[in-house]
Amino acid sequence: MSYQERSDQDLVRLCLRSDERAARELVERFQRPVFSLVYRMVRDRELAEDLTQEVFVRTFNNLSRYDRSYKFSSWLFKIAYNLTVDHLRKKQVKTISMHGSPDAVTPERQEATSLTLESREESPAALVEGRELAGYLEDAIAELRPEYRTAILLRHVEGRAYEEISDIMGVPLGTVKTYIFRARRELRDLLEDLRDEDDVT
Amino acid sequence: MNANKHDKVRHLRPEELEALAMPGGRKLPARSSAHAVECARCLKEAEELRALHSLLQALAPLQPMVGFSDRVMRRVRLPVSWRVRVLETIRAHWVSTTAALAGVVATVGVGFTFIARYPELTPMTVAAFIVERSTALLWGAVMDVGRLVYGTGIVQTAEGIAGQLTLLTAFVAVATVTLVGMASLRIMLSLMDLPTGSRPASAG
Ligand SMILES: [Zn+2]
Repeated sequence: MSYQERSDQDLVRLCLRSDERAARELVERFQRPVFSLVYRMVRDRELAEDLTQEVFVRTFNNLSRYDRSYKFSSWLFKIAYNLTVDHLRKKQVKTISMHGSPDAVTPERQEATSLTLESREESPAALVEGRELAGYLEDAIAELRPEYRTAILLRHVEGRAYEEISDIMGVPLGTVKTYIFRARRELRDLLEDLRDEDDVT
Repeated sequence: MNANKHDKVRHLRPEELEALAMPGGRKLPARSSAHAVECARCLKEAEELRALHSLLQALAPLQPMVGFSDRVMRRVRLPVSWRVRVLETIRAHWVSTTAALAGVVATVGVGFTFIARYPELTPMTVAAFIVERSTALLWGAVMDVGRLVYGTGIVQTAEGIAGQLTLLTAFVAVATVTLVGMASLRIMLSLMDLPTGSRPASAG
């Protein structure tokens, strides 16, 4: 059986026998979702890449401590969440004292990391519209509190169940439901505000 | 939280709204489906949720730079079980491992044969015998070296100096044997020390 065909748990088992190809397959399998989540938390490509690298290194170097009754991806996301939140907390202390804003992003940085919505229609108009919408959406997501951001991304982008999100974030199920409920409401409001602002200017 | 006691209408709960709005979710019970069709408020909520969900779903997944997995793998140090460690050590040092094994087998074999042949011997008498024999051998060697040095004509000055030289040679011989012995022991110990093989070292 090829490595691509193996289950996550199977690959973890091989990693515990120091099979490097199994570890590489897990990196390739999860680099996109983990990077996407981390990037949307920190909004800086270089930093997101460093943090994502650290997530995988920590995951593998502590693999003997992984409880196999959990999904491997949940464990990975848990490490990613903790690391990112830790970073944001440290950064917040620094940025507030320097600039007064915890989420200051330079225009170049925003440009360098501009994102697009995957558009099923190929017409240029639809593409432009898709890009604009993606921009609004990314901005709106960035406005959310980190906990709300993580919860809503895990639910709607990664399609994780509430129980998994509760494991990943280390908060009770009820709290996850509250986060997601509020995140949706805030996101809708923010999207409307951003679009209105843009129409005025 | 959506239930209203007064008009007895139970609006859809958040998980029911998700089931309605997000494909691939749980199936709605018949009663809830029936309500969803009739209730404008629930329909609107489900529609808003569906719109938000498909918007978030359409966000392009992001990708780290090319070569990301290589960079990660260079820093990864997978846990190693003791079995793999031992096998790898044997593979890396198979000559010394074979020699050491042969040595152990030979020593044990000779020991057993010896004990079987002379059952009256105890470990103490054997040890005493070995010490006595090796001392005699060493002393004989020292004397031979001394005689050789004395007889070659390099040193022929006086009997007194020659006698002292023999003692000096004995000292040098013993020191050399001790040093060589210690060095060999050190080399053997360093070979026994289990290295972790050729895995990349973890950075940081
Ligand atoms: Zn209703």
